[in-house]
Amino acid sequence: MKKLLILSFVAATLLFTNCTDFLTEEPVMSQSTELTLASFDGLNNATFGAYSPLVSVNWYGASFVLDAEMRSGNGYRDVNKNSGRYTVPYDLNYTSTATPALWGTAYYTISAVNNVLANLDDKAGKDGVTQEQVNNLKAECMFLRAFAHFDLVRTYGKQYTIDKTALGVPYLFVTDPAGKPERDNVETVYNNIEKDLTDAEKLIAANYTRDGVANSKSVVSKLAIQALLSRVYLYMGEWQKAADYATTVINSGEFSMWTADKYAAAFKEDTREGGEVIFEVYGLKSNEYDGYWDGISYMTDPDGYSDCAASNDLISLYDEGDVRGEMFMNNPDKAPTTYWTTKYAGKDKGNPDVSNTIVLRLSEMYLNRAEAMSRGASIAGTTPMADINTIRENRGATPYDNPSQVDVMFERRLELAWEGHFWYDLARTGGSITRTHFSGSVTNQNVPSDSKYWALPINKREMDVNENLVQNPGYDN
Amino acid sequence: MKKIAFFLSILLFMGTQALNAQTKVITGKVTSAEDDMPIPGVSISVQGTTLGTVSDMDGNYSLQVPENAKILVFSFVGMKMEEVAIGNQTSVNVQLQSETIGVGEVIVTAYGTTNREAKTGAVGTVTGAQIAEAPVVSVDKALNGKIAGVSVTSNSGQPGAHSDIRIRGTSSINAGNNPLWVVDGIPVVTGNANDFLNTGNALASLNPNDIESITVLKDAAAASIYGSRAANGVVLITTKSGKDGKTSFTARAKFGTSWLANDNDFGIMSADQLLQYQRDAIVNAGKNPDDPMDSYYRPKELLSRPLTNWMDHMTRYGTIQEYEVNATGSNAKGKYYTSLNYNNTDGVFYGVGLDKITGRLNADYKLTDALESGGRVNLSYLEGMDVPMQSLYYSNPAFAGMTILPWTPAYTDEGKHNWEIAENSNQNPRATAEYDDQWGKNYQLMGNIYLQWKPLKQVTMRTTNAIETIHGEGRRFWSAETRSSGATLQTTMSKYQRLTTSNTIEYKDVLLNDHSVRVLAGQEAMKHTSSYQYVYAPGVSMDIPYVQTGTPGSIEAEQGYGARTLLSFFGMLDYNYSDKYFLQASIRMDGSSLFGSNTQWGTFYSVGASWNIHNEGFMDGLSFVDLLKLRGSYGLSGNNNISAYRAFGVYASSAYNGTTGMRPSRPENPNLSWEKNSSWNLGLDFTLFENLDGNIDVYKRKTTDMLLDKNVPQTTGFSSNFLNIGSLDNRGIELQLDYKILNTRDLVWSVGGNISFNKTKILELGDNEEIAYADDGRLRHIVGKSLFTYRLFDYVGVDPTNGEALWRDDAGNISNDYNKAGYTYDYSPEPKFTGGFNTDLAWKGFSLGAFFEFKGGNHVLLIEKRYLSSDGASMNLNQLREAMNYWKEPGDTGVNPKPVAGNGTNSNSFSSTRFLQKGDYLRVKDVTLSYNLSSKLVEKAKIGGMKFYVSAQNIFTFHDVDWWDPERGTDGIGYGIYPMTKAVTGGIELSF
Repeated sequence: MKKLLILSFVAATLLFTNCTDFLTEEPVMSQSTELTLASFDGLNNATFGAYSPLVSVNWYGASFVLDAEMRSGNGYRDVNKNSGRYTVPYDLNYTSTATPALWGTAYYTISAVNNVLANLDDKAGKDGVTQEQVNNLKAECMFLRAFAHFDLVRTYGKQYTIDKTALGVPYLFVTDPAGKPERDNVETVYNNIEKDLTDAEKLIAANYTRDGVANSKSVVSKLAIQALLSRVYLYMGEWQKAADYATTVINSGEFSMWTADKYAAAFKEDTREGGEVIFEVYGLKSNEYDGYWDGISYMTDPDGYSDCAASNDLISLYDEGDVRGEMFMNNPDKAPTTYWTTKYAGKDKGNPDVSNTIVLRLSEMYLNRAEAMSRGASIAGTTPMADINTIRENRGATPYDNPSQVDVMFERRLELAWEGHFWYDLARTGGSITRTHFSGSVTNQNVPSDSKYWALPINKREMDVNENLVQNPGYDN
Repeated sequence: MKKIAFFLSILLFMGTQALNAQTKVITGKVTSAEDDMPIPGVSISVQGTTLGTVSDMDGNYSLQVPENAKILVFSFVGMKMEEVAIGNQTSVNVQLQSETIGVGEVIVTAYGTTNREAKTGAVGTVTGAQIAEAPVVSVDKALNGKIAGVSVTSNSGQPGAHSDIRIRGTSSINAGNNPLWVVDGIPVVTGNANDFLNTGNALASLNPNDIESITVLKDAAAASIYGSRAANGVVLITTKSGKDGKTSFTARAKFGTSWLANDNDFGIMSADQLLQYQRDAIVNAGKNPDDPMDSYYRPKELLSRPLTNWMDHMTRYGTIQEYEVNATGSNAKGKYYTSLNYNNTDGVFYGVGLDKITGRLNADYKLTDALESGGRVNLSYLEGMDVPMQSLYYSNPAFAGMTILPWTPAYTDEGKHNWEIAENSNQNPRATAEYDDQWGKNYQLMGNIYLQWKPLKQVTMRTTNAIETIHGEGRRFWSAETRSSGATLQTTMSKYQRLTTSNTIEYKDVLLNDHSVRVLAGQEAMKHTSSYQYVYAPGVSMDIPYVQTGTPGSIEAEQGYGARTLLSFFGMLDYNYSDKYFLQASIRMDGSSLFGSNTQWGTFYSVGASWNIHNEGFMDGLSFVDLLKLRGSYGLSGNNNISAYRAFGVYASSAYNGTTGMRPSRPENPNLSWEKNSSWNLGLDFTLFENLDGNIDVYKRKTTDMLLDKNVPQTTGFSSNFLNIGSLDNRGIELQLDYKILNTRDLVWSVGGNISFNKTKILELGDNEEIAYADDGRLRHIVGKSLFTYRLFDYVGVDPTNGEALWRDDAGNISNDYNKAGYTYDYSPEPKFTGGFNTDLAWKGFSLGAFFEFKGGNHVLLIEKRYLSSDGASMNLNQLREAMNYWKEPGDTGVNPKPVAGNGTNSNSFSSTRFLQKGDYLRVKDVTLSYNLSSKLVEKAKIGGMKFYVSAQNIFTFHDVDWWDPERGTDGIGYGIYPMTKAVTGGIELSF
């Protein structure tokens, strides 16, 4: 009897262990989170994966840039040639249920890099992984984290230079699966951005770029970190730092101004050999997040969805002979009098075509520095006029003689039109918008400097599931 | 060799001698107690042995029995079994009593059988004979309207398409709603098993003629033993075993034709109707149709061009043909049934067809007196020719046939198919049907082998081991002949494989005369894997249309793999006291790889009881009550129909910038678990006057822990998490009645019918009050309402003063501005009641049967009418004839809005109630006339029997839906579908 008991016990144990094995089926076409984050290789792949949402249509793949242009006055809607998209930014008809989807996409990238950063510290010294490799990965993640929060805070929050005590966005150093974070104020968010970027600047190796990518300008480099710092300081009104970092990038010798005859072609390049681009988002149909017909190219293609045309308010600003004034084309059959930007006219990779979206380039560094100097910074050996004329001379435009601060900002609009800057430049300088060439709903045709729309509403679905969030003034939850 | 032969013949001789030494011969005649007519084919066997024979045409038999044989057993379908003591007799004549309908009929149930008298659960049955003549390709189509509470909805009339079956309503939003299908004791793969076919129905591998019976387990008492898979009910299919007696062969042939159903004079406009309509619309827009400079230039000259009715051009008479031979027989040791069937169907649309070959062998063999073994093996090959359907593609002939303009020529001047059709994106489905090569093939094996041991009279141990494998392949070759973009190739390979082992031990005994007990314990394990490979290659050469010639760099490939396992332990107890009181209980523990580590095991159970009131003493005076039975049950079952790996937190690959990284794709979910379904059932069965059979069931089933995507803050990196958070309930009542009006020797007339009412109500959706239906946002799931609710703009009708469409806003005001329209939530695609009824009349060799099916209380939404009744918005598409009924002068009401060329008012919105209609229908599903050759003729011809029949399917449907056919799928929206077709078939069946 005793034997029988022991035997049954053994049998039961065996059966149970076998059951557990039998009932374990792990996914093979994707990788478990645990496994991905366990090794340096996995973390390296996870870091690279964190870049891919940048090309989402919610971000640099289309609407982060196009929304800003459509509401800034640079955009126009042809009444006959459109697909019904982009009416909300054009009419500034924002509500908590019609607001940019950037929130989810940017926090997704933030969660991806936070997962990496939380698991990276103990990897140096194991399996031949060096501290330098770990540091480079950290720097990439910190750059992406700062970059994502920067786009979030300037979209959903007021600008640092306008009201830094206003609500910004939650700055997440750790992504908690059960977290319901509160909004940090704008100042805290910028301080954290500054911290992440300056840490990243220290950690990254001077010559580091990620291996194996098609376009080395679409991954983080030390100069990209510094160029972003220049912009962040400009947004903070830290003029000297903005000018210093711009100078560092300009003086690195890595970049050169596109000349007038190269300008149009530069926006059709697939990868870069020299030229202005410091950091850009890479377009390709095989990208996981490719927007296809909703991508930036088809949206600005006069023969595509064409929802985002350029207003005559913008086009009429360019001088005769300025190559930037020729960066527009019409649709001779269907809309002969409306013009669309050609900055996303594609890389000849099929229909719908794809384009790179430039995020940071050399001209911006000159413009940042010129603006910073015009507002009080000083850099030996250069002046706002010199920097502005560096640009104008390379565009076939007449050089300035002693440009005013207004001229500097005007040049910024001309040069960076359709690259997503103008709206935010107006926002941080307390500007307003008057639209004369306009086909939308008249309610918000003009945007005064105290408009609620300078800070866009938080999405209702997010408010509904996180009771710690507070909506921006003027919007319903 | 010679030596062996000699030796064998010696053995044989000796054996015969030995047998002769101890046997005697018994002869006799079997007749019917009712009319004294001889009964041929009665099985006669010696109790406790495998010796037996069957009676001949005159009811006579002769059987050699051992000297010590004691009892002869006479059995025949439809007759009560008779046991006769042999004693010293050498001649035994018996009269068999016919069985009261229904009562003694064996009903296959989970892990056993029961009969109407003994059951405690709610079950419905269909016999093989009831489905044999219908020209259905797969068995799921045969259940339509046959069983109360079982609703079968076609998503497509395409031959071989699968159906959605709902048993007692719909229990889930995200886990499936189709029942578990169990064939010969083994759960099988269901649904579409071919990536490139609308018609890769895995159940099509079963030949409906091979089916002996179908049992539908509806309540917990009947179904819960299937544990985590039982929540949506269980369909048990039993295939035919060998018949007693010598080998008999049956050959069948069937031919038929099918065509598009259209019982409401529905259709598209002719050329002159369309031209008039368009010219009116152009004038209404203030333009001139005769102005060549205008974008709407519609001169009368268009009618002098060659005109085409494109719907006619896309369709044809379909053909149906089926051939089958089967053989069945038995001897003392073994029995077998085998069949081979070929089925060929060409659809009503060009380019649609199905070829199917199935073969089956069911064999059972007694190895020793206590040991039996056998197998059920089904092999099938299915080849479907397909065109794009089920959506509003330009390439869908069901849609393009209605939209292409009648003055667009069908052929070019050279006599080739014209495919430069601007209004249809330069596609001609008729041409692509001819030049493209689009098919899917399934090779399927479904089989099991069992070994059964009865060491004691009361104990049966059985092991059944099964394999099912479906190997699928598909090819879509888009020819350059009909496209300017060049040729494109897509190929797919897929494999489903399922291994199952089922092991049971049963103890069955009668204790102290009155206490019948059956106890069963069992264990099962299942592993299911699926995988596929898909290749897309644009720019392939027309000469070598394979991937190799595709455009380098543009060729894309994809792979998938999934596996799941299930491990189960279960037990059942049946107890019955003196055929009066029945008690049944079951329990099952399932462990599944699909669920989280914290919740991998679930326990499911049921209890049921029934009381045979008619067996009580106090009923003795009521002799007209043959059966009166009260049943009740409660139980818990589960729904595990979710895709694999949902419990794992995973990273997925993410291509960007020329290389591939990993991105978070799903959060971990260690608490992911089954949806639970608890159900009550109360039922009453009765048989009165030996000719009226019926049952009534009322039930309530509640789904809890319903799996839903719960929104989470996006700051977590995810938008939602799949959690067990919702609940809903279904309640309903079912009624089934069968009445034998006449039952004489020459004339038998029976009628029957069933109806069931079901109501679904959502109780909880986690944090949400309303969520969108995953497939179409026009349908919503709303707390407190039925499972599906249409959310549509409230269309009021036409303004009688000016012909504009009017809308009701949220405040109840009427406006002609579509942007002000408010939503209405008053309609649902779910039927309130479903059912069917039948009548069967038999006179001598003739029989005439008709079967009707109905559904009602549901609404369907006709998305297509946005384009086909567009009030001038779709000026380059043909329109429906009913669009001609539009507002013409002040005072007109109940008509379509005034058509205006270039209409941009959204009067034709497909999100409004304007195109919502009542979906009620009554369908004459089947009318069959058959003739069995009289026994005299049969005998003269020395054959076993011969039968001719002619059958009409869906010959008429009463409905008010402005479409070919009222069925639009379970969600009522199903656009671009291949409509149901009508068919007439004739067949001949010969047995010998």
